Amino acid sequence: MVSNDFRSFLAAIGSSGDLVTINDQVDWDQELSGIGRLSCERDGPAFIFNNVKDYAPDWRVATNPIATWRRLAVGLNLPAEIPLRDLYQTYADREGTMIPPVIVSDGPCKEVKISGDEVNLFDLPVPMVHDGDGGRYLGTWDLVVSKDANSDWVNWGMYRFMIHNERILTGYPRPTSHLGKMLLDGYVPLGKGMPIAIVIGADIPSHIAAAATFRIAGNEAELAGGLGGYPIDLVKCETSSLYVPTSAEIVIEAEIYPDRIAQEGPYGEYPGYRSGEMGNSVCARVTAITHRRDPILTLDTTGFKDSSATTTSISGAIAIKRRLEKHGVPVVDVYIPPEGGVHLAVVSVRKGGSEIAQQVVEILTARRALMSKIIIVDDDVDVFNMSAVIHAFATKCHPDRGTHIHRYEGRANALTPAYSLEERVAHSGATVAFDSTWPPEWPVETTPIRATLDSMYSPEIQKLVTERYKLLGL
Amino acid sequence: MADEYETFVRDTTRVLSGRDCVLTLRDLTEGRSKYRGINVRAVVSRPPRAGEPILWIRSVVGLKDPEPCSLRIVEELPETFVGAPYSDYFTALERAQR
Repeated sequence: MVSNDFRSFLAAIGSSGDLVTINDQVDWDQELSGIGRLSCERDGPAFIFNNVKDYAPDWRVATNPIATWRRLAVGLNLPAEIPLRDLYQTYADREGTMIPPVIVSDGPCKEVKISGDEVNLFDLPVPMVHDGDGGRYLGTWDLVVSKDANSDWVNWGMYRFMIHNERILTGYPRPTSHLGKMLLDGYVPLGKGMPIAIVIGADIPSHIAAAATFRIAGNEAELAGGLGGYPIDLVKCETSSLYVPTSAEIVIEAEIYPDRIAQEGPYGEYPGYRSGEMGNSVCARVTAITHRRDPILTLDTTGFKDSSATTTSISGAIAIKRRLEKHGVPVVDVYIPPEGGVHLAVVSVRKGGSEIAQQVVEILTARRALMSKIIIVDDDVDVFNMSAVIHAFATKCHPDRGTHIHRYEGRANALTPAYSLEERVAHSGATVAFDSTWPPEWPVETTPIRATLDSMYSPEIQKLVTERYKLLGL
Repeated sequence: MADEYETFVRDTTRVLSGRDCVLTLRDLTEGRSKYRGINVRAVVSRPPRAGEPILWIRSVVGLKDPEPCSLRIVEELPETFVGAPYSDYFTALERAQR
């Protein structure tokens, strides 16, 4: 079964055993998101809640659609059990094939239309995600459409948005994000409001494309088509010229003010902390809401090992690999482990050493610096095997000459918990590369040999041992 | 007016000065509109004064001060503050206070 909308995706993860349905009443105020949060921490299933306190049963909420590799695979119409390396490779292959979207005149997301004074964001069962958040977050697993004021460039991004009152939202697309760039370069100087559309519950490839690390002026709708293997149907918004995926459960149309702000945050974010990055946001007025009948509001219970741990990790790792290749680094594989909160990358190289480590850290911090730690290993270490990576890091990284620190101003990640409040406000930070490779100048005769089966035993013994294991069923 | 609110502050002394100050409040009344935001000019008291709504203060990372306050709302303000996108919200509060 090919899933090409959110409901068929839910059916698919139901079939693979990765979805739990809850029909008992659950409170939108922390209880619902707490259930989703614990599931993330335990690598557990997604949930759909059919009975949300204070709301009619025609409103449902689904949590953490693809917070595990299994569900990400199903979202891309792959087997849930696909090996991680194969999942990465499939993603990389599909990313190179763009499929243009198709414009249609109507679709499921237009089944119910609300506009003007009828708009009330509290009519949506928007959860309070964590105790102590600044408000209720509507945009957690979303897709925000915006258009450049001076060109045809349309951006899809995944950005957080919080309810301020019935019609006002505040949000934190970073100022260095593509949306932030469009807003600051094209709309604010002219004092013009910027139309946006917050799309909730579209097909999975569309959300993955929105969250992906993708080039400026790239077309994420085409990327989504490539990732899913089918064109995305788009339909025009009610109150702007933006286009949204027709299969979406809910679409919030709004306009970002060029000259108004309101409280946003704090919010427990994808690095796994609430870092106090409030007070640097955008503010938008909702102009219309459209949705499917019996809509499903999607929620990423953001924090340790949330959905960004898979989506941003896979696209970010592939983007890092391509960037390093472009600069001539002898890169073999890149992995961003979910446990690292998109702050840690593992890079394997054919030839290591200090110069390569320094080059890697400089390349990966040139524009935006989201990774604060990079572990560089030799290519005999499988980057997807974190036991092997930790072993290499712990034993091969010289505590002094193996550490390469690169400091920068104005482009650091304000969500990095290690930074002081002042550093986060100023976007001031650093990235460190841990060179866990053998120095290339060391003679092979004296370079230590790893005491593992694949390194310290003859091929004949390795074969005997693996055959014995097979016979023993191990 | 609600019985209970919360607010997020960078500098607690500004709020607890005894003079009126500009704040964003989150309405903690149970129901569909819980956590609705309003901007106000208000005088905050600690310990709480009888007959006034309770106010809980949270830090910029959302840590709740266990000691409650109360507040007297002097004036409800517009739903947004003047300020360019990404400009500092706390500075906007102080500007609105002057």
